[in-house]
Amino acid sequence: MSAPVVPSGSGLEAVDLSDRTFWAQPPEVKHAVLDQLRAEAPFAFFAEPEIPYLPVGPGYHAVTRYADLEAISCRPDLFSSGAGAVSIQDMPPDLNEFYGSLISMDDPRHAKIRRIVAKAFTPRILEGLVGSVQAVAEDVVARARRTAEEGDGTIDVVADLAAPIPLRVICDLMGVPDEDRAMVLHESNVILSGGDPELIESEEHAVEAFLTAGALLSGLMTRMAVERRSHPADDLTTALVNAEVDGERLTDQEIASFFILLLVAGNETTRNAISQGVLALSEHPDQRDRWAADPGLDKTAVEEIVRWTSPITWMRRTATQDVELSGRSFPAGTKFLLFYAAANRDPAVFADPHRFDLARDPNPHVGFGSKGPHFCLGAHLARREISVAFRTIFQQLPDLEVVGPPARLQSSFVNGLKRLPARLPR
Amino acid sequence: MTRVQVDRERCISSGVCEHVAPAVFELDDDGVLQVLQAEPDDPAAAAEAVRGCPSGALSFS
Ligand code: HEM
Ligand code: SF4
Repeated sequence: MSAPVVPSGSGLEAVDLSDRTFWAQPPEVKHAVLDQLRAEAPFAFFAEPEIPYLPVGPGYHAVTRYADLEAISCRPDLFSSGAGAVSIQDMPPDLNEFYGSLISMDDPRHAKIRRIVAKAFTPRILEGLVGSVQAVAEDVVARARRTAEEGDGTIDVVADLAAPIPLRVICDLMGVPDEDRAMVLHESNVILSGGDPELIESEEHAVEAFLTAGALLSGLMTRMAVERRSHPADDLTTALVNAEVDGERLTDQEIASFFILLLVAGNETTRNAISQGVLALSEHPDQRDRWAADPGLDKTAVEEIVRWTSPITWMRRTATQDVELSGRSFPAGTKFLLFYAAANRDPAVFADPHRFDLARDPNPHVGFGSKGPHFCLGAHLARREISVAFRTIFQQLPDLEVVGPPARLQSSFVNGLKRLPARLPR
Repeated sequence: MTRVQVDRERCISSGVCEHVAPAVFELDDDGVLQVLQAEPDDPAAAAEAVRGCPSGALSFS
C-alpha cells in the first residue's frame, strides 16, 4: 500500500490512513496515531487508496489540527466541496448523479439548494413531524426487550437499538412506505460500508453495488415525489416537492439525490453515535449513572457523545487556487481531508481531550462539521434522537449490559460499529 | 450598547444560534432567522451564539 510522507524516525512511517484496516482498530490505537500526526505532521500526506475502476488521484493531506481545519472549512471559496466532499477519489459522473447532492456542491448552487431544503427542515417543522421520535424510541426499545426475552437474553445494540431508531425516524419524516424500509436499510448500509468486505462482496463489485443502491433508492424517491405532488401528505417529501426559493423548485433528480444524502448522512451517523455512546457509557459506568439520574445533563452529554465518537471521521476539500495554511503553501488542486476525529481531541482547544466528560462545557466540537455553509443540516434532529434514545434506554432498559467486544467497521470515513453484543438480564 | 445583527444572505438556517441562545434567536416557519432580542438580556449567551454561527452571519454592532 501507499507510504505516507512524514518525518522519518518518528515511528509514523508505518502509518497509512488510506489502509482501511487501520480504522478497524480500537479507538485508543487510532487516537494515539492521530495525536502524533497532529503534533508532528499536521498536514501529513498520504497516497489515495486504490479502488477498482476509479482512477487513482494525486493523494491528500490529513488535516488534524482544530485551527487548520476551521481555517479551511470557513473558506469555501478557497476550499471547494464541489470536487467531492465524501470520497477521496473524484466521483465518476454516473455516481455523481446519485450522490452529488448538497454536501458535494459549491455556491451558488449550494446556497440555492440549501435554502430550499432548509425551508423544509426548520426546527419548527421537525418539531411537528418528529413528535414521533419518542414513540419510535419506545417501540424499538420494547422490541429489543422482547428479542432478548424470546431468545437467550442477549441483543445486538447495533441491529436492535441503534440502527432502527434513526432509520425509522428518517423513513417517518420522508413518508417511506413500510414495505420499502428493509430495502432502504440494506442499500444505505452498502453506500456507507466504505467497501467493508462484510457488506460488499468484493472490491471489484464496490462501484457496481454503489450504482445499484443509488438506482434503487433514487427510484423509490422519484416514485414518492410523483405521488406527493398529486396527494400531498404531512411529511418532508411533500415539503420538499413544494419548497420554492426565488420561483425555483427542486427537480425529481435533485429530490432523489437529496433523499440519498439524508439516508446516508442522517442514518448511519446517528446510529453510530448511539451505538458507540452505549459502548462509552459501559466503559464509564460512573458517567452513565450520573447521566441516568440527571436529565439536566442531556444537553452537554449529547455534545460530548458526538465529540467522543465523531461518527464522521472526515470530509474532503479541494484547493481552488494556490493557498497558504499555517505558513505552508499548497498548489491549486490539493486535496485535504478534514479529520474531525483528530480536531475533536486537539489539546489546544479541549482540556484533557481524552477524558470522556458528559458535563464538558464549553464543548466547541466539530462533529457536525466546522465553520462554513455545509454545517450539518440535521444537527437538531440528531441531537434530539440521541437524547431521546439514551433517556429511553435509561428508563426502559436500565439493566442493559455490554457483554462482548464491538465489531468495528473497516472504513476511514464512518466511525462505525457493525455489532455490539449486550445482555438484558431481567 | 451591543446589538445583534444577522446577515440573511449568509445565514444557512442551521439553528446553532437558537440552540445556544433560544431567548435571542428563533428560526421562523420559513426557516428565516428572527432576532427576538436585538439587545440581549444575556450578552454572554448571545456572544457564544455569534461565535458558534457556522456561516459567519451574526455580528455585534
Ligand atoms: C450524530 C449524527 C450526525 C453527524 C455526526 C453528522 C455529521 C455531519 C458533518 C460532519 C457534516 C459536514 C459536512 C461538511 O462540512 O462538509 C454534515 C452535513 C450534513 N448532514 Fe449531518 N450528521 C449527523 C446527523 C445528520 C442527520 C440526522 C441528518 C438529516 C436527517 C443530516 C444531514 C446532513 C446534511 C444534509 C448535510 C449536508 C449539508 C450541506 O452540505 O449543506 N446529518 N453532517
Ligand atoms: S447560527 Fe448562523 S447560520 Fe445558523 S441560523 Fe443562526 S445565524 Fe443562521
